[in-house]
Amino acid sequence: MNAIEAKQLSKAYGAHQVVMGMDLAVRKGEIFGFLGRNGAGKSTFINMLTGIVSSSSGTYSLLGVEGPDSKVLKRVGVMPDYSSLYGSWTALDHLRFFSELSGARASKEKCLEVLRSVDLLSHANKKAGKFSFGMKKKLGIAQAIIHDPELIFLDEPTSGMDAESVILIHRLIKEFQKQGKTVFMTSHNLDEVEKICSRIAIMRDGIIDKIGTMEELRAFYRSTITVKIKHSTVPKQEQAKLEQWLESAGSLLEHGDTYTVITISDENKIAEMIRAFTQCKTDVLRVEVEEPSLEEIFLNE
Amino acid sequence: MFVMCKREFISLFKGIKSIIMIAILFAVSYYAAKFSSVLSSGVELTAGEAEDIHTIGLLSVILLLGQLFVFGLSHDTINREIHERTMRFLVTRASRSTILFGKFLGIWFFWLFCIVVSFLLISIFSKKFDLFIFSQTMSLVTYQAALAVLLSVLIPRPGYTMFLGNILGLMLPAFGFWAAFSPNGWVNWMKYFIPFYYLERDDFTFLVILGLAGMMLLAAYAVFRRREC
Repeated sequence: MNAIEAKQLSKAYGAHQVVMGMDLAVRKGEIFGFLGRNGAGKSTFINMLTGIVSSSSGTYSLLGVEGPDSKVLKRVGVMPDYSSLYGSWTALDHLRFFSELSGARASKEKCLEVLRSVDLLSHANKKAGKFSFGMKKKLGIAQAIIHDPELIFLDEPTSGMDAESVILIHRLIKEFQKQGKTVFMTSHNLDEVEKICSRIAIMRDGIIDKIGTMEELRAFYRSTITVKIKHSTVPKQEQAKLEQWLESAGSLLEHGDTYTVITISDENKIAEMIRAFTQCKTDVLRVEVEEPSLEEIFLNE
Repeated sequence: MFVMCKREFISLFKGIKSIIMIAILFAVSYYAAKFSSVLSSGVELTAGEAEDIHTIGLLSVILLLGQLFVFGLSHDTINREIHERTMRFLVTRASRSTILFGKFLGIWFFWLFCIVVSFLLISIFSKKFDLFIFSQTMSLVTYQAALAVLLSVLIPRPGYTMFLGNILGLMLPAFGFWAAFSPNGWVNWMKYFIPFYYLERDDFTFLVILGLAGMMLLAAYAVFRRREC
């Protein structure tokens, strides 16, 4: 069963179409990364799924229940973007109230345990109004998980956090996956998404432009595999032959006495290339393969 | 709904505004009841009016300042949460009807508490608890609370509802009495939408006020369920 399923989900503000008939299925237990530039429609999409805004057309289901359904929201945790906490409430007050609103008031021990998991235990009785931006983000995550949800939406969970906290949140998200929970997250940090997400969707102008695992996304861009080869000096009589072979294999970027950089379209050519060097009486000392990063895929129009 | 109601109820007791309003309400109820004999001696009253004279202070406050008090405390019950984006945490956990009706009930129970205590203070002198006047008073407060919730849903900025709430709170009683008693056809028809017309009668027509409150709440819900948070 899919944790999230959207069919032809759309949102329009007057004539302006923000999300255009989006189809998406997120499997249970996945950490799903949702990327897109500002204004691409990703927050609107999350907001439709979580009941913050209503959709203009289309349907969706969360955990197998067709939405919008307030009962299923009790099994879902949401850390919305651009939200603020109650300034005069302590971190504990927040967790007690939100757990109660989700149907089961969490015990003090449970609240403290969740605060510990986001490194806010020492601030349990501090008013949220006095929290730094990063601490507010952590409390936002804590309130999203206090009722032990099966599906967690995290909109930019680590933006504005220090490096140590980012690592902590990454570990926490991975822990959710181990517990069988599904995480749907957006981020502007491509490195973060690449590291922790099982699948990724890139949204552009209200539609999903690309979707898949990192491997699948890279498959679209195999033409940009860059191979850097460190080798022994190529004998003079073999130079022309090797150069000719390399030019036929791909796009030769650099070819020196002991160093060659080439881009190829098919990774199977790497082995052929090593053989070609050997046949030309040249020892291959080191091979570095650079695959397209998520950043390159993301920026590729 | 109980969670939202409880939170709204408790939050209304916090803050200097509510303390002042409760103090005014209780003080007026107590002293007006205590000195009701002085009030009744100066004016010619019917037997029924003389019997209800103890509640005159409380009724005057509720009729003339009740709307202002309710607006003062609850003009921003919905729009502040939307404006400050705390509503996002609520709508992602509970249905919008739960939030809206829960908040309304919280406001209603707060005023129920205040009115019950006021009537108990009055009963020290009158030696009775007049259920009919109490019900009439509660129907008026229900109307006022529903109007505050509707206003808070319709107008997105708390600053505007505070301003409009003060204006409406002062104007509505004056306008209500004018509409109820004016022979002017252009104004007179409005009396059916304002509670004062139903309160001047000594029968159960005050129940119509609850219907009006219900309609306002349904209108508020219709707007709120489509509102972006």
